[in-house]
Amino acid sequence: MLLELNNIFKWVNQGGNRVFLLKDLNLEVEEGEFISIMGPSGSGKSTLLNVIGMLDGFQEGEYKFLDESVHAMKEKNRSKLYKEYIGFVFQAYHLIDELTVYENIETPLLYKNIKSAERKALVADMLDRFNIVGKKDLFPAQLSGGQQQLVGIARALVAKPKLILADEPTGNLNSNQGEEIMQLFKELNQEGVTIIQATHSETNAAYGSRTLHLLDGRRDHK
Amino acid sequence: MIRNHFKIALRYLFKNKLYSILNIVGLALGIAAFVIITLYVGYERSYDKFEGSDEVFRVYMDYAEGGNFVPGDAQTYNLSGPTLKKEFPEIIEQVRLYRLEKVTFVNGEKIIQQPNGSLADASYFKIFDHPLIEGNLSDFEKPNTIILTKTLAKKLFGKKQVLGKSLEVFDGNGIRLEIVGIINDIAQNTHYKTNFLISYPTMNTWDMGNNAKPNWSGNNFFTYLKVAPGIDKIALRKKIMMSDFEQDPDERHNIEAISDIHLHSDKPFEAETNGSLSRVRFLSAIGFIILILSWLNYVNLATAKSMERSKEVGIRKVAGAQRSQLIVQSLGESLLLNLFAVALAIGLAYVLLPLFNNFVGKELVLGLSNLGIILPYLAFILLGTLVSGLYPAMVISGFSPIRALKGKVVASRGGVNIRKGLIGVQFFATVVLIIGTLVVSQQISFLGEQPLGVDLSQLVALKGELLSNENDSITRQKSVVLESELSQLPFVKGVTQAKTYPGDGYDNLSSNVGITYPDGTSNERLLFYLYGAQPNYFEVLGIDFLAGKTYLRKNPGVHNFDIVINETFARIMGFTDMSEIIGKNVKFWDETWTVTGVFEDYHHFGLKSKIEPMFIGDINWAFGTGLQNVLVKMDATGLSLSVMDKNLDQIQQKWKTIFPQSTLDYTFLDKKFEAQYKEDTKFGAAFQLFTGLAIFIAGLGLFGLTSYTILQRKKEIGIRKVSGASVLQILTLLNRDFLKLVTISFILAAPIAWYVMNQWLQEFAYQTRLNWWVFALAGIAAFLVAIISVSFQAIKAAIANPVKSLRTE
Ligand SMILES: Nc1ncnc2c1ncn2[C@@H]1O[C@H](COP(=O)(O)OP(=O)(O)OP(=O)(O)O)[C@@H](O)[C@H]1O
Ligand SMILES: [Mg+2]
Repeated sequence: MLLELNNIFKWVNQGGNRVFLLKDLNLEVEEGEFISIMGPSGSGKSTLLNVIGMLDGFQEGEYKFLDESVHAMKEKNRSKLYKEYIGFVFQAYHLIDELTVYENIETPLLYKNIKSAERKALVADMLDRFNIVGKKDLFPAQLSGGQQQLVGIARALVAKPKLILADEPTGNLNSNQGEEIMQLFKELNQEGVTIIQATHSETNAAYGSRTLHLLDGRRDHK
Repeated sequence: MIRNHFKIALRYLFKNKLYSILNIVGLALGIAAFVIITLYVGYERSYDKFEGSDEVFRVYMDYAEGGNFVPGDAQTYNLSGPTLKKEFPEIIEQVRLYRLEKVTFVNGEKIIQQPNGSLADASYFKIFDHPLIEGNLSDFEKPNTIILTKTLAKKLFGKKQVLGKSLEVFDGNGIRLEIVGIINDIAQNTHYKTNFLISYPTMNTWDMGNNAKPNWSGNNFFTYLKVAPGIDKIALRKKIMMSDFEQDPDERHNIEAISDIHLHSDKPFEAETNGSLSRVRFLSAIGFIILILSWLNYVNLATAKSMERSKEVGIRKVAGAQRSQLIVQSLGESLLLNLFAVALAIGLAYVLLPLFNNFVGKELVLGLSNLGIILPYLAFILLGTLVSGLYPAMVISGFSPIRALKGKVVASRGGVNIRKGLIGVQFFATVVLIIGTLVVSQQISFLGEQPLGVDLSQLVALKGELLSNENDSITRQKSVVLESELSQLPFVKGVTQAKTYPGDGYDNLSSNVGITYPDGTSNERLLFYLYGAQPNYFEVLGIDFLAGKTYLRKNPGVHNFDIVINETFARIMGFTDMSEIIGKNVKFWDETWTVTGVFEDYHHFGLKSKIEPMFIGDINWAFGTGLQNVLVKMDATGLSLSVMDKNLDQIQQKWKTIFPQSTLDYTFLDKKFEAQYKEDTKFGAAFQLFTGLAIFIAGLGLFGLTSYTILQRKKEIGIRKVSGASVLQILTLLNRDFLKLVTISFILAAPIAWYVMNQWLQEFAYQTRLNWWVFALAGIAAFLVAIISVSFQAIKAAIANPVKSLRTE
């Protein structure tokens, strides 16, 4: 078992009212799964991914990652988990504007204290794999949206994570580019990487091994 | 990793040029000002520190005044040093220095006048750290020997060997001195400057009257002591104060550490006008304030700016960065920016230092040689950099990653308050400085406007040294002829002679104790001053008589016992009706003197001192003989510089015909009087300069911060405008917060500034009042600075087309 959510509740207080973002949510993810999360806008897909990615907390319930309780962890240990297991892909790419393609991809490696020579090799691998060797010295502003997302994915993968969390990774791309990315995810999944993606598109969801439906912060079982 | 951080920091600096420039320039100005002030303060504190200076003390006289002893004279008797050394075994050396001013040396064709020199005991070399670089010290025990500084030797003899050569002194007696030694030039940061030393026994061969004989009556000697290492100095000082070998209950000897003199001593008859501790303290405080202001600026700008980097922080966190790593990155960026600023600051200081030197009349250097002074401060600067970088680093590293990525990081209320607080502190300091500047300049102009009781305009003092040997009575006669010759000149309104004049300081004035009043009571404790002048002195200088008139001129050779006194003295003697004292007798110096007039108090010493009791008598055996200052009052034609030059030429011609073999110097009395406040005027100007800088830095900070605030509120401003808000309403909206801050800072700053400046004014005997308008003006100035720096940006935002700013969102 890679991770396990038991009876997770997450809420915010708005004008004295408790507004639930996640409500009694349960989820078990085995290593090697490819899960798609679907649901209408505002249903809590991003919130759930953030909780799984430990970018955000929750109020009640239990979250175990590799049989360890996440909510009891210190920030330091959590960032260790990101480093070792998790890669994030965002809808809005989120590249550092002041760094080149090469440097952006290299960033997670810096925080893993990997030696320079090894870093070079790893980044070069990624550039190769995504066919962006020619772009390595460009800044994000000089790339198209699809290229930026490729860089974002390359950065998520460079540290060889066991789990990829992708929040609408193709949301800003045209359908051709989107399909390429999905194809890539499928390959990665076949190589053993666990993937959880949030998406609005049935087509994209179909790449997954199973789909989770959300509605108002709950699982929608119908 | 460091490379990655370094790269991104540099790219960031270049990308945000306005921000970087504001920040670097603000910091650099602050650091440069701090460095220069530090050099100045370090220099002022470096006076008289040499190998063994901890064991060296100066002896001075305390005089009894109203039951207490007060420092009365920096100079002591020629018996003081030897007696103290004999009485106290702790004292291992003593030296007596008799000051010689304006000595003229002749070497063949070369005639050179030297401002400072001394007769000195040979023990000078055992106390001070000025070893002979050439010559033999034992020769200096003989009379008529002299030791020169390198520079003076070079001036007189060029590059030739000078030891053993002889040198003539122009004093009318054709004295020749043998050169027995050369010393290095005395450093400028020495309170007792001297260009040559003449051996003490020389005194016996000169006509020095009383001074040559051991006595307890004329204190015209500077005495320095060297004590044994490790003795109880406080106990020694007490013993010296308690001792009474002089057997005069109204005087006592006292000592002070030599390195304390420059900043702590301001006694009558100092070797030179010393520095001022309060000035040094004020300037240090200003230096620190400016530096801290520029850091606050930095903190503010950096924190505001960090909001823009929230996305980067979010990405880095998601990529696995720990908070501590982000803090290190942010600190590193602060350090980089500060390094740029320090480099720029050192460049600025380097360029500005000569100007500053010129201005304060010092010789400060910025170099490796005085690294010792600067190093602790550099450490301070580094520490400040770290501390000022820490706050933005904590803020930036504390962003929660999802919020940061959503771009939803808005300044927390606490953060906003802290930044407002910082701006408040800046304005607080600015208001204090503005009030300070205004008070200082007000005081200086107050001093300038104060009625002096004497009219010094268009008055020139002629002072010459006779190079021929003739007796005093002939010189006197000639000088009287000169007087009448000069009065013939069409532009001359009056001519007189006097031993000294207002603004001349203590140099040619005698001070005395011991007088019997007309009612027969004696006062042995009152210190009073006296000098000699021609009877028409009062008319020429515009000094009015309250009662009686000036003394009459007696025939040459007849002793004139008529004197006039000032109002202060008459009041001390118990007279309220000034006419009552006319014709009455007072006794001092075992003679009886008749008061013929009471003149209105005038300021002899400048307005830092109060008016002292004073006598003026005829130029004669008692009050001065020989050639005195010849004072010439000219008419207003001299206001034109070219006419003044011609007038002076004519005066010089007259002088040369009567005293063909002589030197001649002239001094404008009003200029010389003002020069007494030279240091205060400079201080005022420095204060203004640095205050201006502080205001500029504070303005820079506000400017940077508003440009940021406005950026953030662009959409809000657009919506308000679309909803019908006028430009003025928007300006008000943007200014309101800052103006509130300025008001609060002002309310806190005003009383503190009042207290501090009131303390400063206590240095002056005559003080300007601390007017309410000074405070009002400071308040208005602070408001203006705030409004201008805010509105600069705000106006642009307020008149911008709202549709544009809304569409780009
Ligand atoms: N900090 C917050 N405070 C209040 N409400 C929030 C907060 N964060 C998210 N929400 C609300 O939680 C709900 C779920 O948001 P979430 O972003 O997870 O939706 P989503 O399913 O990802 O939608 P979309 O498909 O549009 O991305 C939304 O109604 C949103 O308004
Ligand atoms: Mg979403």
